[in-house]
Amino acid sequence: MKLALTGNPNSGKTTLFNAITGNIEKVGNWAGVTINKKEGNVKGDLNKTSENIVAVDLPGAYSMSPFTSEENITSDFVRNENPDVIINIVDATNISRSLFFTTQLLELDIPVVIALNKSDLNQKKENTIDIKKLSNKLGCPVIETISTSNNNNGLQSLIEKVIEVKGKKQTTPFSLKKVNMSDSKSVEKLDIDRFEFVKKIVATVENRKIHSNKQTKQDTVDRILANKLLGIPIFAIVMWLVFSISQTYVGPVIADILVNWIDGFYGVVEGLLGENVSPILSALLLDGIIGGVGAVVGFLPLIMVLFFLLALLEDCGYMGRVAVIMDRFFKRVGLSGKSIIPMVIGTGCAIPGVMATRTIKNERQRRTTAMLTPFMPCGAKLPVIALFAGVFFNGAGWVGTSMYFLAIGIIIVGSLIIVRITGQKNARSFFIMELPEYRFPSIKRAIISMFSRAKAFIIKAGTIILLCNVTVQIMQTFNWKFHVIAEGAENTSILATIASPFAFVLIPLGFGVWQLASAALTGFIAKENVIGTLAVVYSITNFIDTEELTLISGSTDVANTMGLTSVAALSYLVFNLFTPPCFAAIGAMNSELENKKWFWGGIGFQMAMGYVLAFFTYQIGTLITTRAFGVGFIPGAILVSVIIGYIFYLMHKGEEKAQNTIAYNA
Amino acid sequence: MTNIIVCIVILAIIILALAKIYFEKKKGAKCVGCPYSQSSDGSRCRYNKRM
Amino acid sequence: MENIISRNKMIDPLKIKFKSDNKINLSEGQINREYIVKEIRTNDYELKKFLFSLGCYEGEQVTIISVLSDNYVIIIKDARYSIDKNLAEVIMV
Repeated sequence: MKLALTGNPNSGKTTLFNAITGNIEKVGNWAGVTINKKEGNVKGDLNKTSENIVAVDLPGAYSMSPFTSEENITSDFVRNENPDVIINIVDATNISRSLFFTTQLLELDIPVVIALNKSDLNQKKENTIDIKKLSNKLGCPVIETISTSNNNNGLQSLIEKVIEVKGKKQTTPFSLKKVNMSDSKSVEKLDIDRFEFVKKIVATVENRKIHSNKQTKQDTVDRILANKLLGIPIFAIVMWLVFSISQTYVGPVIADILVNWIDGFYGVVEGLLGENVSPILSALLLDGIIGGVGAVVGFLPLIMVLFFLLALLEDCGYMGRVAVIMDRFFKRVGLSGKSIIPMVIGTGCAIPGVMATRTIKNERQRRTTAMLTPFMPCGAKLPVIALFAGVFFNGAGWVGTSMYFLAIGIIIVGSLIIVRITGQKNARSFFIMELPEYRFPSIKRAIISMFSRAKAFIIKAGTIILLCNVTVQIMQTFNWKFHVIAEGAENTSILATIASPFAFVLIPLGFGVWQLASAALTGFIAKENVIGTLAVVYSITNFIDTEELTLISGSTDVANTMGLTSVAALSYLVFNLFTPPCFAAIGAMNSELENKKWFWGGIGFQMAMGYVLAFFTYQIGTLITTRAFGVGFIPGAILVSVIIGYIFYLMHKGEEKAQNTIAYNA
Repeated sequence: MTNIIVCIVILAIIILALAKIYFEKKKGAKCVGCPYSQSSDGSRCRYNKRM
Repeated sequence: MENIISRNKMIDPLKIKFKSDNKINLSEGQINREYIVKEIRTNDYELKKFLFSLGCYEGEQVTIISVLSDNYVIIIKDARYSIDKNLAEVIMV
């Protein structure tokens, strides 16, 4: 039997879905976290029958007449896939809007059960809803639920009700006058009647203590957090705190313990192998597999703390306010107010971020956003940031924070450039977004989110990263004739000869050696690979607890082993973060952009952006620290001027095109 | 002798990793080990994208 | 994300607000005062419909609660929305 979960955005559909299926889909306290339908089986302890119940979580919608593409998914699903029962999740704090959608659902002749969700919030506000009366008036069962709570949440009775009503007929409380559906005037009239009907119901069942159009504490908080001047600094401080806690204070303490275990394991395996094992095999197992994967896994605690904090931020409702602060800037550079959502999602992973752009209707804005979203540092880039912040900058919180703001800056500049290249800047857009209520973030949900990401991280380290490390290890052990390379002839290995041409181009950026170039290359498979490959090519197993390092590599300083100055390290970090993302995300870009010209333009733009930024970081940084330009300044400067010149040429051409269009229209 | 054992161990690890990737891909993950990437399967609603 | 919408149009010089009637648009309204929506002045049918599904149509109440970073926080029914100036100018009260 099939069960559809429908309701307004941010009414808690996915939270309820997770609670009844035991899945761990992404939730967040802002509207529109779900952009696709998701399926799952109802847990055995809730479903007492032998029949399997498939629950389908649908994106939120305000009405059955679709306005956005996600609403489309919902109404198409409900109309075409014939669910046996519909659960309509109604936000108890806002029934006067939610029931409009309910009246439409009741007309589909599919049994509806209403889950009156967030009933705990309502109690807190001392609002009461007469459940019995509501159920009578609507002609369908109403169950109070609190899907965020573990017990007494009403979910058991909800599922029981669902099984009970299955196969029954649904009556329509709202007497549907036969109107000509193709006549927009009469449809409009019908919808107004529908709202009048809802108003009458609300007036009889709801008892509100405080009228909702009065100023509340929330509004006071909003006035500070989303303030025109204070909003951005507050956001910066919040991000800095998140990075400081995860990378400077709490994270490293836990990471130390983990890293010691990994080192211990390395030692045990080394002892087991003994002297008789061929050095190639022992290096493959110790440096390639254990060392490389261990170096990546060592960052797990830092990442977990970071995701825990980000989950708390998302859950409390702050992210919605960040969107409000950013809208102003994005609007000015020709992006849609909606562009902020893919970017917030992109801080987790660029793939769902790029996919989320499909909710933007204007084609140019959609494509621009899809092209720029991967600049946001995603979860896979965080360990890379943590590595460089830790090794070169004492784990300073400002490194990560500034990378986020640099990303936002790049997006704004990038959008300005793209608008000019495409020659369409006279776009007017509207922005409306529901402000979710602040709430105390749930520790439990944050922990669940943290562990699900940790699991994904470990799977990635044990699969893709492990395989890449093995390949890298083999490629650096052999030369093209498949002979083991001699000591001191590392430059003849397969890896070195492949990476060297790239390294040559990277000289003006301050890191033109094949080891670093190959790490940047494997980063395109998955960004965590940058760490894994660095660990393998420099035989470092431990980037975090550097005192332990002497045991294995004999060097006391990771920075010295890599031979990078802090400025070059920052430039390398910038290069890895702001060149094109991993192949999987590039694939997502390709399918969303749906146009070869845009796709290759996007890749080229990301390449150029990474290169130019790294060039400026290194050369200007070196100029400041040593009072002289770094190596390769002149060839680099020529290349960078060619790139910038070409972009200006494209912008100029776009402007001309825009002028012509205006002239043509006039 | 030890060489053969170590060789087998390494091969076993590689095969396990490959098998895991294969099964994850089969389950529909866009990117193995990326959080939430499997839930964002975009194929389903492509047809109404232009709306 | 469903409740964020964006529309694009070429700027229409004729659409610049004229105050011949006694309607004002929401961006000129006072904070904390309850207004009755008189008109949604746009020829964007879908936008009108979307606002309708939120309960923002002729005869309904709307209150501006604050102005944040060039955006207006308004209350329709029992929900708070953040809207931008462009949209506020469409809602006549």
